[in-house]
Amino acid sequence: MPDLHPLIADWFASKGWAPRTHQLDVLASWRRDASALLIAPTGAGKTLAGFLPTLDDLLNHPMEGLHTLYISPLKALAVDVARNLTTPITEMGAKIKVETRTGDTPVHRRARQRYDPPNILMTTPEQLALLLSHGDADRMFGSLRRIVLDELHALATNKRGELLSLGIARLAKMAPNLRITALSATVARPDLLRDWIAQPLPNATTALLMGQGGAQPELSIIASEEHVPWAGHSSAYAVPDIYKIIRDHRTTLLFVNTRSQAELLFQLLWAHNEDGLAIALHHGSLSVEQRRKVESAMASGMLQAVVATSTLDLGIDWGDVDLVVQVGAPKGASRMLQRIGRANHRLDEPSKGMFVPSNRFEVLECEAALEAVKAGYQDSEPPVEGGYDVLAQHLLGMACANPFQAADLYAEFQLAWPYRNLTREKFDRVLDFVATGGYALRAYEKYAKLRQMPNGEWRIAHPGIAQQYRLNVGTIVEDPVVKVRLVRARGNKQGQTTGPIGRGGRVLGEIEEYFIDQLVKGDTFVFGAEIVAYEGMVETEAYVSRSFSDKPKIPSFMGGKFPLSTFLADGVRRLISTPDNWGALPDQVRDWLALQHEQSLLPGRNNLLVETFPRGAQNYLVCYPFEGRLAHQTLGMLLTRRLERARARPLGFVASDYSLAIWGLGDFSALIRTGRLSLDDLFDEDMLGDDLESWLDESALMRRTFRNVAIVSGLIERRHPGQEKTGRQMTVSSDVIYDVLYQHEPDHILIEATRHDAARGLLDIERLGDCLRRIRKHIVHKPLDRISPLAVPVLIDIGKVSVFGEARESAMADAADELIREATGVPAQLGTGGD
Amino acid sequence: MALAATRPDDEESSMLRFTGQNFQPLSSGALYWPAERTLLVADLHLEKLSSYAARGQLLPPYDTGLTLARLAGDMLRTGAETVIALGDSFHRDEGTASLIAADRKALEALTGRARWIWLSGNHDPAPHELGGECLSHLAFGDLMFSHEPRHGQVGLVAGHLHPSARVYINGRSVRRPCFVHDRRIMLLPAYGASTGTLNILGPAFIGLFHFGQLEVTMLGRDRLYPVSPKRLVGG
Repeated sequence: MPDLHPLIADWFASKGWAPRTHQLDVLASWRRDASALLIAPTGAGKTLAGFLPTLDDLLNHPMEGLHTLYISPLKALAVDVARNLTTPITEMGAKIKVETRTGDTPVHRRARQRYDPPNILMTTPEQLALLLSHGDADRMFGSLRRIVLDELHALATNKRGELLSLGIARLAKMAPNLRITALSATVARPDLLRDWIAQPLPNATTALLMGQGGAQPELSIIASEEHVPWAGHSSAYAVPDIYKIIRDHRTTLLFVNTRSQAELLFQLLWAHNEDGLAIALHHGSLSVEQRRKVESAMASGMLQAVVATSTLDLGIDWGDVDLVVQVGAPKGASRMLQRIGRANHRLDEPSKGMFVPSNRFEVLECEAALEAVKAGYQDSEPPVEGGYDVLAQHLLGMACANPFQAADLYAEFQLAWPYRNLTREKFDRVLDFVATGGYALRAYEKYAKLRQMPNGEWRIAHPGIAQQYRLNVGTIVEDPVVKVRLVRARGNKQGQTTGPIGRGGRVLGEIEEYFIDQLVKGDTFVFGAEIVAYEGMVETEAYVSRSFSDKPKIPSFMGGKFPLSTFLADGVRRLISTPDNWGALPDQVRDWLALQHEQSLLPGRNNLLVETFPRGAQNYLVCYPFEGRLAHQTLGMLLTRRLERARARPLGFVASDYSLAIWGLGDFSALIRTGRLSLDDLFDEDMLGDDLESWLDESALMRRTFRNVAIVSGLIERRHPGQEKTGRQMTVSSDVIYDVLYQHEPDHILIEATRHDAARGLLDIERLGDCLRRIRKHIVHKPLDRISPLAVPVLIDIGKVSVFGEARESAMADAADELIREATGVPAQLGTGGD
Repeated sequence: MALAATRPDDEESSMLRFTGQNFQPLSSGALYWPAERTLLVADLHLEKLSSYAARGQLLPPYDTGLTLARLAGDMLRTGAETVIALGDSFHRDEGTASLIAADRKALEALTGRARWIWLSGNHDPAPHELGGECLSHLAFGDLMFSHEPRHGQVGLVAGHLHPSARVYINGRSVRRPCFVHDRRIMLLPAYGASTGTLNILGPAFIGLFHFGQLEVTMLGRDRLYPVSPKRLVGG
């Protein structure tokens, strides 16, 4: 055991504590001059473990200037940790200066920190990027000895981690002797995270330290007498049971997957709240003050329950939570473990968690998650490979700091793990993009942002570019949002579409623009815990009025951002395909599966079940890949195109996390029976070639991805000195830019970056590819006379979620059709595209 | 589902009858007037994306080329002998000078192939020397061509507002640029590759049309859709 500095040893003794093994392990690795990755669950004293070497070193070798840089994904966390660290430092009587630096830090203090930095600085990846864009950054960071990265598992899986990795590569060049300590929750691939922190310091060794796990969590699925619905995501059936559970616990944290589910659950709970329990709501669309209020009430133990979305996911201490309830599908086992870890921060006591599935498929998913958690399996995402948009942003930042030689910067970028395989060709294209837009047509030489000097160095063309860069740093691109304002209804007189809307009500909050875009006047939805009716857009605000309907017409649910993890998907397939394992399932779910077994087939663990059946005037094709909604949407798009070519006349499709249903006019069963349609060909992996290509240019998902890429890379500015552009106000829409660029230069570096992001994001092409390879030659076709039990949930979704494919154009066709029928005196007969 | 909408090949059925004349709308957003062999286009907004470069936003400089290529295609297909551009042909007056060599050449070829009339718009009020005539408006028989529409002017063909329509039917909705007229005023959709749109039910159109006699033709991917006005929704 390493001997602690006497002041630290005395402090531990005065508290009656002993340092934990993993805390000493981190110190020992530091003394061996190694970096370290510490994997430990929440509440294991990770923060102190991270800073023990710093305290030890600074007590033994006091110094002026910056010694340790702490980086966390949340500024609230940085502030929290600074507070938690200052207390022991003060109690030890040590002269160590700790400060935070976030967007909220006053300008004068930020300026002072650059020439007179504290010993320990707590900050975020964006602030680090800003600091590094100054020419004198090496003066501040030259003395740096340690970097502490908190919650690295959350950072390394997104674009902020890409930006951070590039910042660390620069720090490693300024202070080659620094060492990194990273703290992470339990992940599936700790070795990759270790490589991530080892990459910038090729001469240091990097230890992988596994902290002791806590007690096994106590997990269960809610036992409800009620009927579990076939489909839907409201979990309304279980609300009376959830309410009882809240009453029986001290503080319950209820996690849901989307903002609208949070709204709905909160509303339903209050409808049952006869005892006036203190139940609060917390999600990202609420105002900051409202959220802070909830957080402090929570920390002081005044609340009995909080309904929250992932905004509460990360490691701030939330006081005495004794139960975590996941309402709706868990989607991933690791995410569940991290959420459940919020309950009971004492390692020796088990934390208590409960699942509330909102429909029958989710029962299976919860069951699979339960198994996974019991067995200690992890399915967290691996760290991401670097994107070119973040690279472009960082490259401009480095040019703002100092002129550079391309070869030097290229070598530096390779020290960032996500960019370790970056080719020189790609680097040069990114450089070209930052300098003049990177267009084959060299139209912008005179407006170049970077210019090459006679000695070969690249430098920014004028200082205004650095100013612009600093206004636009960051990789978090919010979905464009609009304010929602409550006004008086303008009445529903027929044909009154352009009259003035009642003015001036209070602002209820903000909502994603793409959600509003799908509404028409009169549509009702839940917002701010009440049901409102859409009145219209007035400039940049969505006007809504109070609605008296008790059921919102538009389910603002979009399934949540997280797709079902591959691991849980496999668990669900295994559970369904093995009747012997159905014992733990509720009776109604077991009966449902048994009925499927009897009337059709059970999807196997490694095959793909495809059912075809007629229903009404249409025919349906339903398949069960269990690969998540995003991959299924992409599959639906591509299959519809192929079915059209095979003259099967598809009309539309709808995708869930578990299955995909396509409907059309052609007799799918007969086409397959007669060999005119081959399922093997239909599901062949080559759809990811040409078909994907021809679909991409009209895909709304590509456009949405492009918008993020264009903003992060600096093609579109979020903010211009003196003004801020948001969503609707942006003078040229990113859709137009995408269309023009894609049509003319489809291999432009930003289109490539968009494909890269879309492949792993909204289109989930990687996963679809894996699935198509897995099921190759393992497609089982079951023609049926009528709908099968397993197909019911996805067919219920038809008409509730937006329909894709030709349906868009066919809305116009239907309206045109109707006009012609009217003109020719034939009564209109509508009714295509769904039930 | 019977697709009753018109295809490019059955042109007769999609003809727009306006002040006693037949006009053929094209899915590109141009309006062809066969009797006068004249092609009408509105709001080309050439050089829009490149106009941001001076402020540091290096947007793809390809919108001008795309718009001109589309125009060349429409001229070839219709055999038009006259082209009338209904104003806002350039996003800014300076656009007439910022054309890159290839686009300038393409435009020269077009203006050399047909009689060309540039009407001035609010974005490009100044006359220029790019071939053809520059006018503020043009009267032709019962018809009047100008950039901005004005209520009460019968027989007016104009642009300026970038009209689009949104239909909502059977639970689906789609919004696309459109031709719209009320037998008095005809508005063309914006033709330029870089242009946005305004819904014809929105505030910009208040008081312009007699809604009872509205005829709306939406632009599909490769065909046109005359739609029932009662299916129109805002947003």
